Amino acid sequence: MTAATATASTTGGTTPVGAATDRPYEDRVVGVLVACSMVWAILGMAAGVHIAAELVWPELDFGQPWLSFGRLRSLHTNAVIFGFGVSALMGTAFYSVQRTCHVPLFAPGLAWFCCAAWQVGVLAGGVSLLAGWNGGKEYAELEWPFDIAIAVVWIAFAVVFFGTIARRRIRPIYVSNWFYGALIIVIAMLHVVNSLALPVSLSKSYSLFAGAQDAIVQWWYGHNAVGFLLTGGFLGMLYYFLPKHAGRPIWSYRLSIVAFWAFTYSYIWAGPHHLHYSAIPEWVQSLGMVMSLILLAPSWATMINGIMTVSGAWRTLRTDPALKFIVLSLAFYGLATFEGPMMSIKSVNVVSHFTDWTVGHVHSGALGWNAMITFGTFYFLVPRLMGTTLHSTRLANIHFWLALAGTMLYILAMWGAGVSQGLLWLSLDEFGEPAFSFTDIMASMGPYNALRLLAGAVFLAGAVLMAVNLYLTVRHRRTAVVLPPIPREA
Amino acid sequence: MTSSPVPLLRALHAPADAFRRLAEAKLDAVAVFLRYILWMALVPPLFAAIGTANFGWRLGAREPLFVAPDELALVVIGYFFVLLAGFVGTAGAARWMAATYGARDNFGHGLALIGIVAMPLVVGSAAHLFPHVFLNVLVLIPALIWSMYLLYTGLPVVLATTPERGMLMASSLIGLLLVGAVSTLGLTVALWTMSIGPAIAV
Repeated sequence: MTAATATASTTGGTTPVGAATDRPYEDRVVGVLVACSMVWAILGMAAGVHIAAELVWPELDFGQPWLSFGRLRSLHTNAVIFGFGVSALMGTAFYSVQRTCHVPLFAPGLAWFCCAAWQVGVLAGGVSLLAGWNGGKEYAELEWPFDIAIAVVWIAFAVVFFGTIARRRIRPIYVSNWFYGALIIVIAMLHVVNSLALPVSLSKSYSLFAGAQDAIVQWWYGHNAVGFLLTGGFLGMLYYFLPKHAGRPIWSYRLSIVAFWAFTYSYIWAGPHHLHYSAIPEWVQSLGMVMSLILLAPSWATMINGIMTVSGAWRTLRTDPALKFIVLSLAFYGLATFEGPMMSIKSVNVVSHFTDWTVGHVHSGALGWNAMITFGTFYFLVPRLMGTTLHSTRLANIHFWLALAGTMLYILAMWGAGVSQGLLWLSLDEFGEPAFSFTDIMASMGPYNALRLLAGAVFLAGAVLMAVNLYLTVRHRRTAVVLPPIPREA
Repeated sequence: MTSSPVPLLRALHAPADAFRRLAEAKLDAVAVFLRYILWMALVPPLFAAIGTANFGWRLGAREPLFVAPDELALVVIGYFFVLLAGFVGTAGAARWMAATYGARDNFGHGLALIGIVAMPLVVGSAAHLFPHVFLNVLVLIPALIWSMYLLYTGLPVVLATTPERGMLMASSLIGLLLVGAVSTLGLTVALWTMSIGPAIAV
């Protein structure tokens, strides 16, 4: 199979395209997932901006526990990762798997169940976090009732996705589906194992693992959630939508497959780099570091594949503002996937860990890679779903510059803050005692936190512009009906 | 600036004209390096040395951190060579990418372009004279945004490619420069842990 599959199934138009005897693609559920994703993007980013403001003006919690940093921070991460990110991944997976398999979704009712149950779950989960229900595991804060619900929805997602692949009319499975498939399988495994817990009430449970083992399981989950959801899942998005944007196949399909297997094999070992200089065995820490360094190879192979694909499609830039987002997302993907392995080196990590440098690194990936690729994809996808053109290219271009400025400002502020913190934590006075107190160091971070707030507000403003632009694009329109292509006679 | 084939200062107030002149000039890479780049790379380390020796590093907490003179000399020399490597490496990368983006592969033009792009940062490095980290962040972020603007607008003109391909090539170079910046950060921190630079408890 070549990447031509990804460019072959033309979409758009308000009249059915393809075989009259077939059921049309299930695109309405995709549209709803995209809309929900945008709502979560704005809510989640707004929560992020609010907690950034609380770092500057702590009184902004108004003395309310549910507005405290600890609760809103969990809401922020859950809303952007599970609300914005997973809704986008689910929607784009449903859209692309149909077109790369030339069949409509398997069990469309179940797809609607996934869409609705996921949104209700994220909403209720968000409310529970504000109420103070928190399992205490980073990126897995939701309590056990939600963990069970997530597992159920995820199984439904798997049935729809793999059911569609099982009924495909094209024998080879296109590379984007490998990445989406890995996302579904690995996240199911991570979520189930890491969430194993003993409930003591409706709102409280205790992990089945204890001590260092609990930490190892948590970061096996945590880092691979970054790997298979925020990296692998979004690479699935890249591999389908980049060739569609560019109007040409992936530069090297073979490289994409090699990178997939190298990525899948090496990512799963990297979690212990979150636990350097902790109570876990030294050899586990070193293994995590080495596998993190090896991970650079498949990550950059993918980046090069993407850049070479887009470099041959430069004419498309004249008419497609969305491609700019994808170009930039690749640059930030390159940065984040280089910075991560570098920060896993123990002699760097000793300074960078527990500082805002880590926060900057996460956001170079989350804003620069995940959000940018999603924005680029939505600008491409939404007009096609509706069989129309984007309401305003100018607004999209303004959004591009706001997103770039916000991301750069955020990263640079956090680099400055993080390196300062690392140096100050480790400075000793003439008696060999820490030269600076924790409170002194945190108080000195005020200006950086103000810059972080500005950066977040600029990025959020861009996302709001996008939401308005997309709303004006879809207003008073219905989802276009598209039929799968007619199968060729054998 | 008719006598200068690389209109560095003109780029600060009339970039379009500076880029057009640069595109038309005949440039020798060695001459550009010796006449401009070498001196530009000297300026930020010099400011850093003066500022650090007189005021210490002010990271925000109460007391400034002073670096021993021999350690400071090492840091400053290292800074100089990192900047030189940055200039030459980026120009080299631009030459390497030229075929992909249909751009001019003249090393001299690439080096001169990177020199012009870096001018706001070199001027902004005057903030090193008072090495308060936040002051430097505050001055160098706008300088960096200005430099990025110069790269996006100047690259298609100086390296003679279309604006669209220029945008792609500039984005690739920014990706590379970001990686270079974070590598420098990581290398610096790793050197600290090896007792080169400020004394930290590792």
